Amino acid sequence: MKMSSNEYDAVIIGAGIGGLVCGCYLAKAGMKVLIAEQHNKPGGYCTSFKRGNFTFDAAAHSFGGMRFGPLGKIFNDLKINERINIYQCDPSDIIITPDLQVSFNSDINNTIKNFQEAFPNENYNIERFFNFLINLEQNISISFRKNNFTKILDSFFSSYKIKSALSFPVFGNSGLPPSKLSAFFGLKLFKEFLLDGGYYPDGGMQTLANILAEIFKENGGKLFLSSKVKKIISDGKNVLGIKLSDNEQYFSKYVISNCDMRQTYLKLLGKEFIDKAFLNTISKMIPSLSVFIVYIGLKEPIYNNYFKPGSNIWYLLDYNLDNSYFNSKNGFFNDINNLMMHISPDRKSVTFFINAPYKNKMYWNDNKKEVLNLFINKIQNIPIDNIIDNIEFKEAATPYTLFRYTSNYKGASFGWAGIPSQLVLPGFIKNRFINGLFMTGHWTTHGFGIPGVTYIGYETARRIINNFKR
Amino acid sequence: MIDKKVLENEIKEIISDVSGFDLEEIKPETNLTNELEIDSIKAIEITVAIEKKYKISVRDEDVPKIVTLTDAVELVYGMLNQKGN
Repeated sequence: MKMSSNEYDAVIIGAGIGGLVCGCYLAKAGMKVLIAEQHNKPGGYCTSFKRGNFTFDAAAHSFGGMRFGPLGKIFNDLKINERINIYQCDPSDIIITPDLQVSFNSDINNTIKNFQEAFPNENYNIERFFNFLINLEQNISISFRKNNFTKILDSFFSSYKIKSALSFPVFGNSGLPPSKLSAFFGLKLFKEFLLDGGYYPDGGMQTLANILAEIFKENGGKLFLSSKVKKIISDGKNVLGIKLSDNEQYFSKYVISNCDMRQTYLKLLGKEFIDKAFLNTISKMIPSLSVFIVYIGLKEPIYNNYFKPGSNIWYLLDYNLDNSYFNSKNGFFNDINNLMMHISPDRKSVTFFINAPYKNKMYWNDNKKEVLNLFINKIQNIPIDNIIDNIEFKEAATPYTLFRYTSNYKGASFGWAGIPSQLVLPGFIKNRFINGLFMTGHWTTHGFGIPGVTYIGYETARRIINNFKR
Repeated sequence: MIDKKVLENEIKEIISDVSGFDLEEIKPETNLTNELEIDSIKAIEITVAIEKKYKISVRDEDVPKIVTLTDAVELVYGMLNQKGN
């Protein structure tokens, strides 16, 4: 039977990396698929934007997990490596504290050596910790389910300095200090982002999203940009399709939301169709922190022999990460001294990331400039060339900006907060009350960042294809 | 007292949610690791979901003993019985 132009096998709401990967697999399996994206480009948090001569990566700035975990298999399946060059920045991460500096290298043995030189008293513990991580799958224990990441670090190390140095990048990539972060998330993040981090596609992060969109279209998929979904159409038992904000309707057996979980259910589907227990569960869930991002375009490119472009540079000026989290969570920006800096691979721009609370639209309308200038002032203390006199362009993305472009609840950086009580997300990929409604992306998974959402995009597709073939 | 069949269906739903396999594919004697691709991480998810649902605390050393759905049902059934007494 031929389908009419408004009929699809599956409609995906949102062209984030999770939605795109899911769409690619469904289209490759022979399904007729539509992706509707509100923004004028695909990618979600993995987009880039241009201002004058500068290209900035909007939020995602590199990724990890090509060697460990399922990312390599998925990129092979979709033949991504044949179309774009993805290289690994080495060192991927550099931690700078008031009294030391230590780097994560592509070769783990070098990373171990770097840490041993920086923390000679922890020599043996460092080796033990990294070996534990390398064999994480065998070492991960059911007993970790109630623990936080601090408990793991305490079982290896005694000095608070090394514990903070090792956890600050994990904090930056999860929005939680080790005392709040689930041991399980912390370990997974550490392994994927730090033992194997710093990957970057030639041409910028947008390239990755664009290639996925291309593969999706080559396999017969249809991508609508600047198309906001207003409603998921349902008869209370099954999904029937979606309605766009221009009231155009598209019908399908499956609707996959790559959009935020609360919005998907409460706004797009409608409260009346949600199972009470499920509604109760999602109402109590806590989202991850958002982030304030400073984008700086430079008059002269940075040629600093010390910091390679592309490395994530973590300024850990305050070893007390609980304190740092408290200030971030409450928006006490004056007191925040820990931040992450990233020099763009073309050396022409620099971005800074600071964990921040959502607040609200009005707050950021009133305070965005002030917070931006506050951080520009703080940057003066960073001993790298002379950024301040070299600024041609400055701009910031506030948590509200992130919300506006991606609709992520409270501008959350990583979906739900990775606290131990949120270790399990029951029925978040597929609920048990509306047939055909699936979710994908960072609101359904524990994996943070690009590796996490890529895997969940694949996993969601696998479930749908199984069901479709029946 | 909870009925064993009801318990089996509820635990089957949890395993289905975590593994992505449909209810019909999960038989009482299906090997969870080999046939449903449940790795150590998914095993943690299933354990936590069961603990939350039945308000019990599974002993760490009991988890590796769960090889099939029946093993999980027997373990939870036993714990609920003890709790009831």
